Amino acid sequence: MRLAAAELVDSREILPGQWLQAYHAPELADGSRAGQFVHVRTGDFSGLVLRRPFSLNTADLATGIVTIHFRVIGRGTEWFTRLRPGDAIDLLGPLGRPFEVDPRGRHVLLIAGGLGMAGVRMLADEAIRDGRQVTLLFGASSAREVYPSNLLPDEVEYVVATDDGSLGHHGFVTDLVPDYEGWADQAFACGPTGMLRALAKQAEGRRQRLGVAKLGRKRGAGRTAALGSPAARRKAYLQVSMEQNMGCAVGACLGCVVMSVTGTPQRVCREGPVFASEELAWEGAWT
Amino acid sequence: MGGRLDVRAKRRVVTPNGRPAGAKRTPTVRRVRPAIVQATPRPRIEAVPRSEAATGSPPRARADIDLSVDLGRGLVLRNPILVASGTFGYGVEYGDVVDVDRLGAICCKGTTLKPRIGNPTPRVTETPGGMLNSIGLQNPGVDAVVEKYAATWTGWKVPVIVNVAGESVGDYVAVTRRLEGVPGIAGIELNISCPNVGRDGLQFAIDPDAAAEVTAAVRRVTDLPLLVKLSPNVADIRPIARAIADAGADALTAINTLSGIAVAPDRHRPLLGNIYGGLSGPAVKPVALRVVYEAAQTVRIPVVAIGGITELADVLDFLAVGAVAVQVGTAIFADPTLPIRLVDELAAECRRRGVTSHRDLVGTALPKRAAPPSAKGVEYRP
Repeated sequence: MRLAAAELVDSREILPGQWLQAYHAPELADGSRAGQFVHVRTGDFSGLVLRRPFSLNTADLATGIVTIHFRVIGRGTEWFTRLRPGDAIDLLGPLGRPFEVDPRGRHVLLIAGGLGMAGVRMLADEAIRDGRQVTLLFGASSAREVYPSNLLPDEVEYVVATDDGSLGHHGFVTDLVPDYEGWADQAFACGPTGMLRALAKQAEGRRQRLGVAKLGRKRGAGRTAALGSPAARRKAYLQVSMEQNMGCAVGACLGCVVMSVTGTPQRVCREGPVFASEELAWEGAWT
Repeated sequence: MGGRLDVRAKRRVVTPNGRPAGAKRTPTVRRVRPAIVQATPRPRIEAVPRSEAATGSPPRARADIDLSVDLGRGLVLRNPILVASGTFGYGVEYGDVVDVDRLGAICCKGTTLKPRIGNPTPRVTETPGGMLNSIGLQNPGVDAVVEKYAATWTGWKVPVIVNVAGESVGDYVAVTRRLEGVPGIAGIELNISCPNVGRDGLQFAIDPDAAAEVTAAVRRVTDLPLLVKLSPNVADIRPIARAIADAGADALTAINTLSGIAVAPDRHRPLLGNIYGGLSGPAVKPVALRVVYEAAQTVRIPVVAIGGITELADVLDFLAVGAVAVQVGTAIFADPTLPIRLVDELAAECRRRGVTSHRDLVGTALPKRAAPPSAKGVEYRP
C-alpha cells in the first residue's frame, strides 16, 4: 500500500454513464494483482470528505498505466469525468487481497454483472498471461449496457446475457453458469449482491454433482486451509469480489464489513474484497 | 534529548509490577491544573524526534518551537496533533503511509470488555461536508487488544491512548483494570456516549450524575491519565463537563459524533443498518467549536478538541477557543498524511507569529468573563 501520484492519460465514456480512465502510475502498476483496488481522492473539496474505491481494471507494468472503470452515480464520480489528460490525482493502493487462481487450473470462468466487469477484468489478463483458457459471462440490463468486446483480450470467450433479451441470452447471467460448471476449474465473480448470492447457491454441492472429490491426487489434498487465508481461496471453486460502503479502505474504520460463516465480520477492504464464497454468510440481516 | 521526553511520557507505564509504587485504589487527590498549560520552568524537549536524513521528510518542528502538551499525570505529548479514536484503528493499519512516531498521540479504536461484532451494514455513508457512521463498536475485546497490539505500541515513541467503552460502570472499570500497568498504554479515553443499561439505556454522556459516576469509578482503579470524551448531543454541556472534571478526569475531549440519520436511495427506509449514525467531518466543526468554547470556560483541566479538522486554520480555531490539543478524525480517510503535515505547519505558524510555543495561541478567543451559555438560546436574549 502506498500513496501514489497519478496522471490522467485517457478518459472515455465507454457506455452511457460509464467511464474508463487510464492513469499513469508506475508505482501502482508494479505489484498490483487482479481483484485489488485503489482508493481515490476527489479534488472536489466542497463537501466531499471520503475517497472513492475503484477496482483496478487493468494494470500494465510495461507502460505503468492503470485503468479504472466506474459509473457516474454522484458528485464524486462526476468530478472524475471532468478531469483532463495531464491532470494529477492521488491514489492509495493497491489495497485488499487479490483473486487466487489454483496453479493447476486450466479453465477459468469469470462472471460479471454490470459494473462488476471492473472487478474481474484484470483477472482475464492474468489468466491469459498464465496460459489458461478464459470464458467471461457478462450480464447487463440491455444491449446498450454491454461491455464492448474490443476492450477485452482476444483470447477471451465472451458470452452475454441481457435482462430484456436485446443481446445474447434472454435472462440473468446466472442462467448461463450451470453450462460451464463442469468445464471450469474455478469461477470468479463480481457484481450485485443478489447475483453473487445466487452464484454461491449454485456452487454449493458442485463437487458432489460432478463426482470429483478433488482435482486429482495432489499435495495438500484433504487438508483444510485456515478460513480467510490465500490458500483457502486458492482451493475454493467460487471466489467473489464484494462491494460495501467504505471509509478508510485500510482496515482502520471497520465500516465495510461482510459477515463470515464463523460470525466474525470481515473487512472488505482488508480481508477482502475477494472472498471464497463458502467463507461468507449469504443469508441473514447482513447481506 | 528526545530520549528524556520519552522516559517522562512513559515512565509510569512501564512499571514492572503492573502498578506504580505506592499507588493504592483510593480516591486520588487531584491537583487542579490550569486549562491553559503554562510552559514549565524545567528545560523542555523539542519535537525533533529523528534525523531528517532517516525519513527524508519535509522540514519539521525546529528546536526553537515547543509544541509539547501536558495532559496531566505525566502524559506529555510531543505535539498537540492526535488522531481520533475509530479513524486510525490500532495505529498499525496505515502501515508505511504514515510515520506514527511523529504524531502527538494515537487514540485507538473503542475497546470493550467482551468482543463485539458491531452493527449491520451499511455502516458508513458520506453526507454533505461529513460522514455518518454506525460501526457499533466492533472490536475484539480488551484481552485481544492487549495481547495483539500492546507489544507493538511499546516499541513506538508515540503514546497510545486506549479508548474505552462499556454498557455499565462495571464494564468500564473492568476494562480499565485490564489496561492498568500494561506496557505500551499511555492513557485512557472514556467513550461515555454508550447506553447505560442499568439506567434504561440512556447514554452516560447526557447525564451529569452518570458521567461523574463512571469517571469517578474508573479514576479509583487507575493512575493512567484519564481523558473523557464529551457528547455534543446534550442541551447544556457545562454541568456535564464540570461533573466529569470534579470526578477526577485529567482532561476532556470534545466532541464525539452528532446523532443523525440518512435515507436509503429507494426512500423506503433509513440507509444505515443501525438507523442512527454519528456525524463527523467539517460539517460538525461549528458545533465542536461551541462545545470546546463552553467547556474550556467551565473546567480547569485541559480540553482536547475534535471535530472537522482538515487544515491548519481549523487547528488554530480550536486553540483559540481554549483547546490545548486537537484530534484529527474523518479527514484522515481522505488524507492520511494530514496529521503529520499539521505538526509541521503548526510549528511554522508559531515561528511566523513569533511565539515559542503553540500554547501562546491557546484561548485567545475566550472572553475575559464567562460568556452567556448557548443553552440560553442563540438569538433571542432577554
